Amino acid sequence: MKEIQIAVIGAGPAGLAAAIELAKAQGNVTLFDENTKPGGQLFKQIHKFFGSSEHLAGTRGYNIGKQLLRETEKLGVNVILDAPVYAIYPDKTISYSHQNREQAIKAEKIILATGATENALAFPGSTLPGVMGAGAAQTMINVHRVLPGKKVLMIGSGNVGLIVSYQLLQAGADVVALIEAAPQIGGYGVHAAKIRRAGVPIYISHTIQKVMGKNEVVAAQIVQLDDNRQPIPGSEKILEVDTVCMAVGLSPLTELAWLMGCEFAYIPQLGGHIPKHNHNMETTVSGLYVAGDITGVEEASTAMEEGRLAGIACAQALGLYDQEKAHTLKKEIWNRLNTLRTGPFGKIRKFAKDELLKISREGTA
Amino acid sequence: MNQKADVVVIGGGVIGTAITFYLSQRGQKVILIEKNDLASGASGACDQDIILQSKNPGIHLQLALASSQMYKTLEKELDYDIEYENTGGMILIETPEELKIMEDFVNRQKALGLQVEILNYKEALRYQRGLSNHLVGSTYSPQDAHVNPIRLNLGFAQAARRYGAEILLETEITKIKVKNNQIEGLETNRGTIYTPVIINAAGAWAPSIGRMIGLKIPIKPRRGQIVITEPVPPFVMGDVLSARYIVAKYNPELYNNSESAAVKLGVGLSLSQTRKGNILIGATREFAGYDITNTRTGIKEILKNATRLIPELKEMNIIRAIAGLRPYTPDGLPLLGPVNGLNGFYLAAGHEGDGIALAPITGKIIADLITDGKTFMDVTALSPNRFLM
Repeated sequence: MKEIQIAVIGAGPAGLAAAIELAKAQGNVTLFDENTKPGGQLFKQIHKFFGSSEHLAGTRGYNIGKQLLRETEKLGVNVILDAPVYAIYPDKTISYSHQNREQAIKAEKIILATGATENALAFPGSTLPGVMGAGAAQTMINVHRVLPGKKVLMIGSGNVGLIVSYQLLQAGADVVALIEAAPQIGGYGVHAAKIRRAGVPIYISHTIQKVMGKNEVVAAQIVQLDDNRQPIPGSEKILEVDTVCMAVGLSPLTELAWLMGCEFAYIPQLGGHIPKHNHNMETTVSGLYVAGDITGVEEASTAMEEGRLAGIACAQALGLYDQEKAHTLKKEIWNRLNTLRTGPFGKIRKFAKDELLKISREGTA
Repeated sequence: MNQKADVVVIGGGVIGTAITFYLSQRGQKVILIEKNDLASGASGACDQDIILQSKNPGIHLQLALASSQMYKTLEKELDYDIEYENTGGMILIETPEELKIMEDFVNRQKALGLQVEILNYKEALRYQRGLSNHLVGSTYSPQDAHVNPIRLNLGFAQAARRYGAEILLETEITKIKVKNNQIEGLETNRGTIYTPVIINAAGAWAPSIGRMIGLKIPIKPRRGQIVITEPVPPFVMGDVLSARYIVAKYNPELYNNSESAAVKLGVGLSLSQTRKGNILIGATREFAGYDITNTRTGIKEILKNATRLIPELKEMNIIRAIAGLRPYTPDGLPLLGPVNGLNGFYLAAGHEGDGIALAPITGKIIADLITDGKTFMDVTALSPNRFLM
């Protein structure tokens, strides 16, 4: 069986950043992704990023993706695409499907940068064609240039719901309404203001009750919620729509970490069960690192920093960097991560991340 | 918290819950103790066969025949959908040598009353499509059946509770109390239970219970890995095994010298399809201690073997793999009955791969022995004392 030094699983922002750092340190790194193109979610993010200039703020997501790809090419990172990794065995043998057959490779160190998956809601009609994740709709319009429908109901007012609503408008769809179960909008005010100005009504304290239609979506029924989040009888509204998008949060894709026997902590603010890890992003399984949304759902900017961190820590563990050099590099990253985790949303995440590090250190869930 | 019971059963798998059900049904006050959860061991990580044909003609087949009779009315008795289906089953034969052994096997099984016959390749295809054309033929029995083992396990537990049994989950035994060679009770992390009778139905973990009272129970965990496909339209006729499995089980000398990975892992085909449509592809029979992880070689050899026999399986997607620990005994027979010199201590373990098929009859035999002191058939050959003397 072929043996390699480092395998990075997932070529999104975290995985790309990790592979780049390892290649810079002269590591022999192979990057795997199940998609036919690397970049993860970056290539569907046509909006500009927030933050300071060192975090590539003001740059559009897909341009960040292009930049990372150029760097991996320049550094000669071995990238294997169309290769879903479906098993990792205790001796760090990785099984992946590629060119229509199972292939296996053994790695000395592994970085899991598998990202997150969209949550779904179950309601009558939720399995009808036309009901989809907001991320799926975003992939359709921004990557494949296909409009999923003409009249859209968006569920969830977090940044994903707000941004995808705006991008659906840009792509030529009519966003009939955006509903939010909480009594306030979840995402940034600027994003909400943009879709409001475009005439999209935002109904807070509202939820979906059912979707009507036989073979496809023809309408959706929404209802207002009281202070205890219970439906208020008589407040039902029927909206004529052909598409219902759900932007109701993401959950870390942790299967491979479970398979490896990592210990987990349950942190709802980060999206659920998260593999415990230390300041080097190393899990409770020696030589297995995590970075990006698998360690808690955040943003591309933090995912890239965590990827760099895992890459550098991994390089250090392999003796590619000396203590001092690694320490300096890691410290810079931690400073940037702490800056990124500020503001009303960032603060909650920083608190949750600190909690995760604390739990990991204490060894209790 | 101190409690009292007529009988304490150790182990919440199909065997332990079956015993608890049949004893409770007869008015015994039973407490079942399980260190994890119901069906958390082998009963939740196995295939679903109630296959008679694989049983050695003799007491093993007698037990299976009696058990299969009980299955016919079990769903009603438990008032629980255990997904029982009398599908029939077949054993695929690959070589003239295997055919010879199987012919003898089948004749001896027939003598004990099993409806079973040998089919040629063409006839076999009528029951199961997609068979590789290198096959010589197969056996066929209309009496084979299958059941959802997890639902069976939960069904026994639920029905036992209706008869007043108490089931303590996440409860670990710390000590077994014995006085003057008589069982007095046991201590758990949740308190003391006083009882004159303890039944060790802990499957592959039975030896660790035995050690608490100085018994050396010769059961060893034998790992069985199983690969599971996505749900597909009906494809598998019922229970499909390969003769290699039977021959390896009863005539191991025929394969002893082989160096192949499949033989070392004890790979033999065991195929069935769940009600939902997932195909269970088994299995390995390997000694790997108490390790229940799947191995790449294990998965690979199982799939190589299955697709060699039924090439169409290659078209199906695999969604997961599981592994369970079958309780192996040196002579392939379970340990059922009281332990000499230790009044009140019973064993009901060591069924290896036959736990599902034999659960009802095991429950009945143990309940008979405890309430009546005897059972409907001669079970001396199963006595644990054959190893413990």
